[in-house]
Amino acid sequence: MKTLLLAGLLFATFAAHAAAPPDTIATTPAGARQWFRPQHLVLQTGGGLGMVAGGAGYSFLKDRLETDILIGYVPERYAGSTLTLASLKVMYSPFHLRVAEQVQVVPFTIGGYFSYTHGTLNDELKGQYSKDYYWFSTDTRYGALVGGRVTYLAAPVAATGLPRKLSLYYELGSNDLYIATYLNNRNGGIGVGQLLTLALGVKADL
Amino acid sequence: MSSLFTLRRWTRIAPAAALLVAGCDMLEFSPNDYRLPEEFTNLTQKNIAKLQAKPLAATDTLRFVFTGDSQQFYDEAEDLVTSVNQQPGISFMLVAGDISDFGLAREMRWVDEKLRKLTVPYLTVIGNHDLVGNGREAYQHIFGALDYSFVYGDTKFTLLDTNGREYNFNGQIPNLNWLRPQLANLDGARRQVVISHVPPTNDDFDPALRMPYVQALREAPGLVFEMNGHNHQSTIGQPFNDGVTYVNSDAFSERRYMVVTVWGDREFRIKQVTF
Repeated sequence: MKTLLLAGLLFATFAAHAAAPPDTIATTPAGARQWFRPQHLVLQTGGGLGMVAGGAGYSFLKDRLETDILIGYVPERYAGSTLTLASLKVMYSPFHLRVAEQVQVVPFTIGGYFSYTHGTLNDELKGQYSKDYYWFSTDTRYGALVGGRVTYLAAPVAATGLPRKLSLYYELGSNDLYIATYLNNRNGGIGVGQLLTLALGVKADL
Repeated sequence: MSSLFTLRRWTRIAPAAALLVAGCDMLEFSPNDYRLPEEFTNLTQKNIAKLQAKPLAATDTLRFVFTGDSQQFYDEAEDLVTSVNQQPGISFMLVAGDISDFGLAREMRWVDEKLRKLTVPYLTVIGNHDLVGNGREAYQHIFGALDYSFVYGDTKFTLLDTNGREYNFNGQIPNLNWLRPQLANLDGARRQVVISHVPPTNDDFDPALRMPYVQALREAPGLVFEMNGHNHQSTIGQPFNDGVTYVNSDAFSERRYMVVTVWGDREFRIKQVTF
């Protein structure tokens, strides 16, 4: 149900863009956009941020710096309770390689994320523990990621010059708790490979 | 010709397929996601089956290893396994809770990946750290029941959740309505042992249930001792001065475990082993 809602939300954003009346475009200089309007939409799976996670984001510094806000969903049968995750990702991609007329490759992205999980079962009720009983938060996670992507560059929207791009991306990441575990076992008890999570996603620039 | 072609095609696909399987394993929906390969699920039942496959003669002395709190101590876990595998005549190992540190499935898998290298099966009881977040569900999926019992040789082992604080002291943990009939019926065994994570002397034990729990143990027929973890410090004593012995394990980090021998009606001997 939440997946449907999420898909609906994404579609509605697309539709709103497509259905903008002609006079709106006429009053906006070609290529300009309202500052708050997201520059891209994303939909991904994994990475610790949801079975499905969708959202929107902005790009800066000629697309080298990007930030995404995602809402993720995990069904009860995979985690013991239905989880909703709100995440913020910030990514830096120094290289954009135009490998063909309509294909761009971003070979290396490095970034970090913050996520908050709603819906866990044992969620630190007020007064349940003394201060610092557990040194870590149950629901708040920080993580790091590296990744890459391939982008298909379609012709820009004729009337506005706004870009139309579709990308597939992957990210290898880890979170604060996994990294802490690794750092506490420096004699080889835990391997780097055991800490990794994978995310696969689609990004649409508009 | 066509078979050669098929073989070539498969040798090309195989690495990709391996990558795909590894990838699926890494596609984590949330740290609370407990999807794991089948071999990492239902471990309590599987390990009891392994134990029962090597029955002990009813009159024999029983020897097992007792430890606790493996949480985040993976370097130590490897050394513990090496040491325990050199102990002669042991039947199994008991881990007195806090298998994980954050109640996450990945951690429980990491611990199992170490402890499955033991030459004997191991059994666990749930600890407070295993109940953080969605840990209760992860533990049940990976290990099994929170309260359970089994008979091996001439001894009945009852393992139960005593992590009252994780339930905000709701008056139901430990579940005395489940425990009392377990203690009353030895299921044909000669003696019994009770294992839980939080000891009744600790602040994390539900204060309303402390004395009823202690009394239930005092009245239990053939009780050799009650065993706990949580304190990260080994002790053997009778804190309630009622004739009931309480044994507390070290954590993996203390690099010491107990080799426990039980025989007769309620006889026991405990040897500490440093690794």
